[in-house]
Amino acid sequence: MSEQRSREKNTDLRQPRTILLLHWLVAASVFFLFISSWWMLSLPLPSSEFIYRELPFQLHKNIGITLFFAVMVMAVTRAITSMAKPKIGKTFLERLALLDHILIYFLLALCCLSGYMSSSYSGWATRFWWLVDFPSWSAENDELNILFSDIHMFSCWALLGVILLHICAALFHAFGNDGLVDRMFRLR
Amino acid sequence: MQNSLARANVTGLAAVITLFGLLLLASHSNELLRQIVIAPGSSADLGVEAACRADELEEEQLSLQECQLLVVDVQIVLSSSPAWFRSYQLTLSYFGIAAAVFSIVTAFGLINRQSPPFRLAAVSMGILLLIDLAGFLAAVNTGPLLRARYLWPLLLWFVVHLCALVASSRLAQQQSEVGSE
Repeated sequence: MSEQRSREKNTDLRQPRTILLLHWLVAASVFFLFISSWWMLSLPLPSSEFIYRELPFQLHKNIGITLFFAVMVMAVTRAITSMAKPKIGKTFLERLALLDHILIYFLLALCCLSGYMSSSYSGWATRFWWLVDFPSWSAENDELNILFSDIHMFSCWALLGVILLHICAALFHAFGNDGLVDRMFRLR
Repeated sequence: MQNSLARANVTGLAAVITLFGLLLLASHSNELLRQIVIAPGSSADLGVEAACRADELEEEQLSLQECQLLVVDVQIVLSSSPAWFRSYQLTLSYFGIAAAVFSIVTAFGLINRQSPPFRLAAVSMGILLLIDLAGFLAAVNTGPLLRARYLWPLLLWFVVHLCALVASSRLAQQQSEVGSE
C-alpha cells in the first residue's frame, strides 16, 4: 500500500519536458566528454606538425561550453519549479538526493568553467562550434593555466564519483518501482 | 505483489538499457572521433619526430620519454591497422551510434507504452549484439597490438548486450503468454 502511495506521489511530481530532455542530453555529453578526454590526452603534444589534438580539444571545449548553458537552464528551471511546489518534510534519503543534485549541478558548472579558464590562459583560442570567437581573459599564463587545469581535473573526478552515486540511486529506485525513475522517462 | 515485481522489472530493464545505451553512444562516438583524427599519412605516420617542449612537458606532467611514446602510440595504431580497418571502423561507429540511440528510444518505449514493447527492445539488443560481433571479428583479423586494445572491451559489451537480450526476450515471452491466456 505504501509502495503504491509512494508511486502515486512520485508520478505526480513529473519533471518539465525541458528538464527531461536536457537531463538525457547532458548525461550523453558527460559520458562522451569523460571517455574522449581520457583518449585525447594520449595524443601527441601539439606543434606545427602534430595537429592530432586540434579537433578533439575543440570539440571538447564546444560540448563543455554548451553543457554549461544547459546546466544553467536546468538549475534555473529546477529552482523555479521547486519554489512552486508545496513545502513538505523531507526524509533522510530525499535530503541526500537533493544534496547529490546540488553537487552535480555545482561540479558540472565548475568543470566547464575551469576548463574554459584553463584553455583561455593556455593561449589557445576558443571558437564556439567553429563560429563564435570567445574572449581570452588574458595573454598566455602558464601558472594560471596549470591552476585551472588542476581545478578542472579534480572537479571532474569528483563529478564522476557523484554521478556514480546518482546512477546507483536511479537503479535503486528503478528496481524499487516507486515511480521516481519513471518520471524521468515520461514523455506524456 | 506479482504485478508490482513485474513493473519493477520493466523499469529496471529500461534504466539499465538506457544507462548502457548512453555509455555505448559515448564509446562509439569516441571511436568515430579516433578514426577521423588518426589518419594514414599524418605526421606520426611520416616519421616526424615528437615535439616535446620543456614547458609543455611540465604543464602536462609528462617525462620526455612519455612524450615521445605518445607519437609511437599513434604509429602503433597506424602501422598495425590493415588497409580496410579505418573505413570499416568508421562505418561500424556510425551504425553503433544509430543502434545505441535506437536502444535508448526502445527503453523510453518500455516506460511510456501501456503494453511495453519487449520484442522491440530484444530486436535493438540483437542489433547491438551484431555490431559487437562485427567489431570483434574485425579486431580478430588485425595484428596483436590492435587485438589487445579492442577485443576485451568488445567482449564486455557483447556480454552486456547478451544479458539485456535474454532479459527482454524472456519478458516478451511472458507478455505473450499473459496475452494469450
